Formats: sequence, C-alpha cells, structure tokens
Amino acid sequence: MVTTTLSLSSVPISSLDKRIQSLENEQSSLGTQEYFVNMGPQHPSTHGVLRLVLHLDGETVKEVIPVLGYVHRGMEKKCEFIGYRQQVHLTDRLDYLCALMNNWAISHAIEKALNIELNERIQVVRTILAELQRIQSHQLWWGVFGMDLGAFTPFLYGFRDREKITAIFEDTIGARLTMNFIQPGGLMFDITSDFAQKVKEFIAYFKPILNEYDELFSGNIIVQERLRNVGILDAKTAISIGTTGPILRASGVAHDLRKLEPYGVYSQVQFDVPVGATGDCWDRYQVRMQEMRESIKIVEQLIDNIPEGKHMVMKFGAKIRVPEGVYYSEMETARGIYGNFIVADGSEKPYRLHMRTPNFNNLWSIIRMAPGLRIADLVTILSSIDIVVPDIDR
Amino acid sequence: MPSVSSTLTMPLMVGTVLGVVGFISVVAMILVYAERKVAAHFQCRLGPMRVGWHGTLQSIADSLKLFLKEDIVPTKADHLLHAFAPVISVMAAILTLIAIPFSSHLVLADVSIGVLYVSAVSGIGVLGILLGGWSSNNKWSLLGAMRAGAQIISYELSVTLSLLVIILFAGSLRLTDIVHSQEAGWWIWRAPGVGLLAFVLFLIASTAEINRTPFDLAEGESELTAGFHTEYSGLRFAFFFLAEYMNLFIVAAMGATLFWGGWMPLHIGGFTAFNQLMDFIPGTVWFFGKVITLIFVIMWFRWTFPRLRVDQLMSLEWKVLMPLGFLNLLVAAFLSLFGWYFFPLVF
Amino acid sequence: MDDDRLTAKNNYVKPVQALPIRGFFGRIAYGLGSLLKGMRVTMHYFIHPSTVVTQQYPENRETLVLSPRIRSQLSLIHDESGYHKCTACHICEQACPNASIHVVDRPEPAISKKELDFFIWRLDSCTFCNLCVMVCPFQCLEMKPTFESSVYDQRLLAYNLTKYAGPTSTVLAKQTDDEARKNMIEPRQVYDGPTELGGFILAGMPESTREKKS
Repeated sequence: MVTTTLSLSSVPISSLDKRIQSLENEQSSLGTQEYFVNMGPQHPSTHGVLRLVLHLDGETVKEVIPVLGYVHRGMEKKCEFIGYRQQVHLTDRLDYLCALMNNWAISHAIEKALNIELNERIQVVRTILAELQRIQSHQLWWGVFGMDLGAFTPFLYGFRDREKITAIFEDTIGARLTMNFIQPGGLMFDITSDFAQKVKEFIAYFKPILNEYDELFSGNIIVQERLRNVGILDAKTAISIGTTGPILRASGVAHDLRKLEPYGVYSQVQFDVPVGATGDCWDRYQVRMQEMRESIKIVEQLIDNIPEGKHMVMKFGAKIRVPEGVYYSEMETARGIYGNFIVADGSEKPYRLHMRTPNFNNLWSIIRMAPGLRIADLVTILSSIDIVVPDIDR
Repeated sequence: MPSVSSTLTMPLMVGTVLGVVGFISVVAMILVYAERKVAAHFQCRLGPMRVGWHGTLQSIADSLKLFLKEDIVPTKADHLLHAFAPVISVMAAILTLIAIPFSSHLVLADVSIGVLYVSAVSGIGVLGILLGGWSSNNKWSLLGAMRAGAQIISYELSVTLSLLVIILFAGSLRLTDIVHSQEAGWWIWRAPGVGLLAFVLFLIASTAEINRTPFDLAEGESELTAGFHTEYSGLRFAFFFLAEYMNLFIVAAMGATLFWGGWMPLHIGGFTAFNQLMDFIPGTVWFFGKVITLIFVIMWFRWTFPRLRVDQLMSLEWKVLMPLGFLNLLVAAFLSLFGWYFFPLVF
Repeated sequence: MDDDRLTAKNNYVKPVQALPIRGFFGRIAYGLGSLLKGMRVTMHYFIHPSTVVTQQYPENRETLVLSPRIRSQLSLIHDESGYHKCTACHICEQACPNASIHVVDRPEPAISKKELDFFIWRLDSCTFCNLCVMVCPFQCLEMKPTFESSVYDQRLLAYNLTKYAGPTSTVLAKQTDDEARKNMIEPRQVYDGPTELGGFILAGMPESTREKKS
C-alpha cells in the first residue's frame, strides 16, 4: 500500500487564485479591466452560505463560478453510523423547506426495501401533507423572489400566508420546520380531528390571496421586464445538467414524477403539470405559481374523504434491518427530484447512503444562464431556480 | 425681497445654519419613524412598538446607537474622502433646504433663481455618493456609486424638463413668485393636461434622483449588499441616511411648491364660501400637509414596487420619460403662449 | 426528449400563459395600470389595520395558545404523587440520533436490578426528533410545548429530568410503608423548566455531565 503525505497547503484546492491574479495583471487597450468579485458566502441574495465568484466586466457577468461546501455537514457519512430510523430526521435538514417530502422520500426508500404495504390512510395523509408543503415552499419562494427583485412587501405577504400552513403543521406535527413526521411504515402520530377543517379553511383563505399575488407582483410591468427573456435555459441544456422540478418543466420538459411514476395517491387525483415554453425566469415564475394552484386542487380532492385506518403499520420500537441489496427510490419535492440510493449490508445501518438532492444539479444551471447578463439578472436567476444551500452541500 | 447676505449678520447666519441643521435632524428622525410605520402597515405589521408610545422614540434610540457605534474604516480606503463624502451629501441637502419657502413669511433665502438653485445644489449630493463609493475601496460600493452617478445625472434631465413647464406658466424662477402665481389654482390642474403630466414625470424622475425604490439601484441591497454605503458604519452612515431622508423631504417640498401651490390653500374657481373656509387653515399647515402627502406617495411606491435593472433604468429615462418631457414642454409652451390655461383671468 | 411521456403533447400538461404587452404607448398604459393595481393591494392592507398579523410576544404570554403537540422540551412524566415509570432501560438513549440523552442508573439493592439515578437531557444538541418519546416502552417521556429555554451559558442546557433517584412508580406503589418508600428514593433536583439565564451552577447535576461538552 502506498502512502503519501500531503500537507493541506500544498494541495491545489482550486485554480481560482491563479485566474484572479492573471486577470488583474491584464490591461485592455481602453484601460478598462475585467475583475472578479465574491458574491457570498455572506450576501443577502445567495440564500445562505453559497459563494459565487463572479467574473465581471463592468456590470456584465462573464462567468459564474459557484464555490460550495460552506454548510457541508457530512450527512451521507453520518447516515452510515446511525440506524435507518434515525436517518429520517437528518433529511429535514437537507432542503428544510420540504422537510416532509424529504421524510417521505427516505421512508419510501426504506419501505420499498422492506416491501411494506401501507394502508390508504397513510398514503392520503402523506400526499396532503406533501402538497401543503409544496404550497408552503412556493409561498416562501415567492416572497423571497420579490425581495430579490427589490420589493420587500411580497416577502412579508409570503411569510404571512406561509404561517397559516405552518400553524396547521404545528398543530398536527408539533414542529414548524424540521418535521420528522413521516416515518418508515407510516406517520409518527395520527392527524388531529380538526385537521381537515383547518386545511379547508386555509384553502378558502389562500385561493383569493393567489390572485392578489398576481395583482401585486406578477402583472407588474417591472416584474415583467425583469423576468421575460432573462436567463433562458433550453430543454436540452436543462436535461444535460440534470435539473429537475420546476426548472426543468419551465424549459418545456413535462417531467414530473407524480405523473410518470406515481407514488402516494397521485394516480388517483386529477391535476395538471404546468410546463413553460421558453425556459426563462418568467416561465419558472409562472410554473411555480401554477403549481400552487394545482396543489390546492390535489388537496381539495383528498381532504374530504381521508380513509380510516392505522397511522403506523410497523412497530415503532423495533429496529429496522434492511436486507442486503441496492435500493433506489426517488420523489418529486418542491425543487425537483430527491433520490435515495441505499446500499444495505443486512445490518441496522446502511453500508452507504447517497442522497441525490435536487438543488445541487439545479444550481449549476446558472453557469449556463448568467453569462452576458447583469448582476441584477444573476440575482433574479438565482432566485428563480430557488436554491436551498444546505441541500446543495449536505 | 432683500438678499440674504445684506440683511443677516454673522451671528444670525450661524444661528440660521444651526437652526437648519436642527430642523433637518428632527425632520429626518420623524421621516425614518414614519417610513418604518408606513412600511409596517403596508406589510401587515406593526413596526416599532417598544421605545415610547407606539415606538415614537425609536428614531432617537436609533440615532443614539449610531452615534455610539464604532466607526469602521477599511484599511485600504481613501481615508480623507471616505470621511468627507457623507458630509458633502448632508451639506447639499442643507443648502437646498435654505431656498424652500415654507410659508409666505417663512423663507430663509428667497433666491431670485430659486428653481435653478435647488436643482443645481441638490445635484452636488451625488458627489458625496460617488466619492463614498469610490473611496471605500470595495467593488460593490464602486458599482453602487457608478450606478448612482449615471442614474442621477440622467434623471436630472427629466426633473428639469418637468420643472420648466411650471416656469413657463409662472414666468419666474423665484419660488415665492411661483407659489403666488398659483393663487387661482395649482399648476397641476391649472395647466390643462401638461401640468398633470409634468407632475407625474417629476414624481417618477425625482424618486429616481433620491435613490428610492423602484430606483434604488445605488443601494440595491439584494444585488450590491448595501451599494455605495456598504463600508460605512456609525455616524458616517447616519449622515448618508440623513441626507437620503432630507432629499426625500426636499423633493416633496419642491413638488408641493411647484405643482400643488406651496403654502396656498385649495381654491376652486368661484366657490367663494369654500375658498374662504380654506383660507382659515394657515399656510404652513397647507405646505406641510402637501409635503406629507407627497412623501407618503413616494413611500407607497417603495413598499409596493420591485427594483428596475440598470439598463431598464436608462431606457426608461432616455426612451420614455425624456421624449415625453420634451413633448410636454412643447405643448406647454404653446399653451402658455396663447394663455390657454384654467382660471387665467382671476388675477 | 424522445420519450413520449416527456413531450408537451400529454393531456396533463398545462402551458403557462403569457401576458400580452403591446407597443410603446400600450406598454406605458399597461405599465401604469399594473403599478396602480399593485398600489391598490398594498393600500388595502394599509387602511385595514385588522389585517396586521404581528403578535406582541412578551405582552401576550398570558393569552398565548400553543398546540399540545409542539415538541420543544423533553420531560419525564411524573404522576400526582411525584413518581415516574422509568426503569432506566436505556432504550431512549440508544434511539437518540445525536446522543442528547444520558441515562445514569444505579443498582437497586432490593430486587438486584438497575434503577434511575439521573436522567440527563442535553437541549443544546437535541434536534427534537421525538424518537425517544416514540420508542419508550413505558410511555414515560413526553415533549412539552414550553419554548422559553434560552440561556447565556451552554452548560445550563443540560437538564436533569427526574425528581428522584429510585425505582418506578409501580415498584413504589407496592410498598405500603411510607417510611420504607422514603428510604428507597433519594431526592434529585429536577431541572426541566425556565431558569435564570446564566450565572448559576446547576444543583443536582453530576459533576461528570456538567462539564461534558466544554
């Protein structure tokens, strides 16, 4: 076995420094100079600790270099040391805006590996919760999108309406952000008796609010000018980068796992998949706005007749042993496909668990979209792809 | 009216300047509080509620905090300019304020070229922003400063074009004369059509000139962190803040003076009883009432609209506002030549 | 793209509609109209103070209604007479994904078994996943909706949840003699609620756990 000694300083972690140096020595004939500037890790619109190194010419973006790893927590490695049941709560902390969908995804993977049949009640409740979470996630995105475009008011309206769903979750689940509610084999507890009533109240409240969103923001001429034909991602590039979710659909690819490989009770409900035409920021905006309406439709169809049944089909105290083998399961979260790849060795812990998170692939679309646009457009694009940084770094 | 220098003795001048500084500090504090409250209620919030009754003393607490805060200057900044830039912005605001007539008696310097003076001096303010952004030695600051420079110089044209319409009708550059010319009716509706259009242009262009949303590109917090004042803290930041809110006040005051009749009460043609009732309200109240309304409208803009992009900002000015301004001026010239405006014969 | 399911011909696909924007003056008219529309929305909220959603937190403490399911503080359930059902079986400790629970047991001389001495819960590392509550075979743990647990000193976030060191309530109920029951248990200072923010040392905490982290 060959051992090599490496001191950290001698490892060329990135060639960024060299590139910046070479650019700063360079002078064009007009005496203007292109330059690099750090956007993040502390920047108001990188939504967390994402660092983008921008190569600029005046205000025009020539190149975007995302630098990752500022919230890397070693999630996948961690999962190799804790049991299958304990992993679920870690997925809350990936894409914290779709905690329930992440819970569902990993539970689904484990259930698939164990061949567990779930009853109808669990499936319906999971679907309702997931769609509520999708609405909630898009509400927050809408607010933040407004703020990134310079309008602060949508941010607070988004949060105000998000709070209504959060209150439902708080009563049903007992948590506001890190749910850990959907467990392998069912749900942590049964839903409360007034759950359906509360959800109906929320839908009645939110339907007119969606039109108000359009009045305040979507129709606004400044928004139209800022979004139309900005950051165009064509379908081919979108697929080649591996983008999923609303970004891929805005580019004109009707790829939605809820339709293609239905899980839960998605095959029993009627809903449409909004698809964009040009793949610009406006399409991405509209796809998400329409998705909120479609999610409301799904919840409306399910909420009135939640079937009776147990909320948990496995014994909670029992340890989970996944039989030896390789398992993969994926699910459509608010941002795209979240897949879990489990390599099990028959013990209580996975041998290897890989998480295919949507934001990591989605992020890289900016390096194709941003060049040639302004800094303000870069912020718009970054906001329109709706990244959550802990999901990128894991 | 006699000129300032001949009537004011040295101590009186110092007193005037101190008075103006005190006035702007108080006005800025009130405006900051008002903005926070107005913003809060636009956003279904309450705003400051803790310091004093409904947070009325919040501004005092905030300014105290800013006074006591450490003044951080980047090591590689141009220290002299970095220190001096906020002062330029505040000075410009103070100098502009001197020429504004608050009522028929309360006018510090009734300059015969008042409109020209105000537009010229308020233009100095951008120098402070430019120097502040440049001297910080920060790329974000520099970008913000450059944006501010381009923006303010461009939009100055539209402001001037809309002011020219009123000057044509009033026939004077003296601000008090312009107010007096509106005794029969405010220019916004007395000059048929053109007055209203000029006012709209003025409102849009001055919102841009004072760097407020939807034209707050110089600050652009979601793009440039804080734009030109990224590297400012403590008292110097407070100076920029002060200048920003003073400029808001000045713009509203200019709008009120030129378009809404300054301290003049609202008069409608031949309704003598109504007009006499309106006369009971003192001129200062009218003036501040109009100013507050205008400030509210500009705040309303800020808490509703998103920001424009830098190239859209330029095309809005050069392709929309300026052609409209010239067209408006042309129409206004014909109208005033033939005396075609409402109530021309009252005085 | 060749995959038939992905093309936009599917019946479930709903293309996003585009807003038409007409020529120069049409744009100005549309623009002004859209801006006024937005301003109407914000003005609606401005003139309706009833739409304010702000809660004045410390003032509304008395009227604050929290859902009973909120998970923000672990608690060991003590019955009316002040006894719990914990047998110090360590199952919660094993279930905890981040080692926030530390069950300290001591030998029980009478029935030669283990009994609970300290139940240490570290709020600072807890993720409130609720697994300990779910796995407890005796249902002796619960999550409480008390949320005011901020302190200035991280060491104060190590809680002792048991009121006494001794056997479970079932064992104690069998003991009819009050004096003998008292001898079986040793009081511990329970610490599971709001405390001062800092500057005092936890009483009733074993030395080893007090300094565990720092």
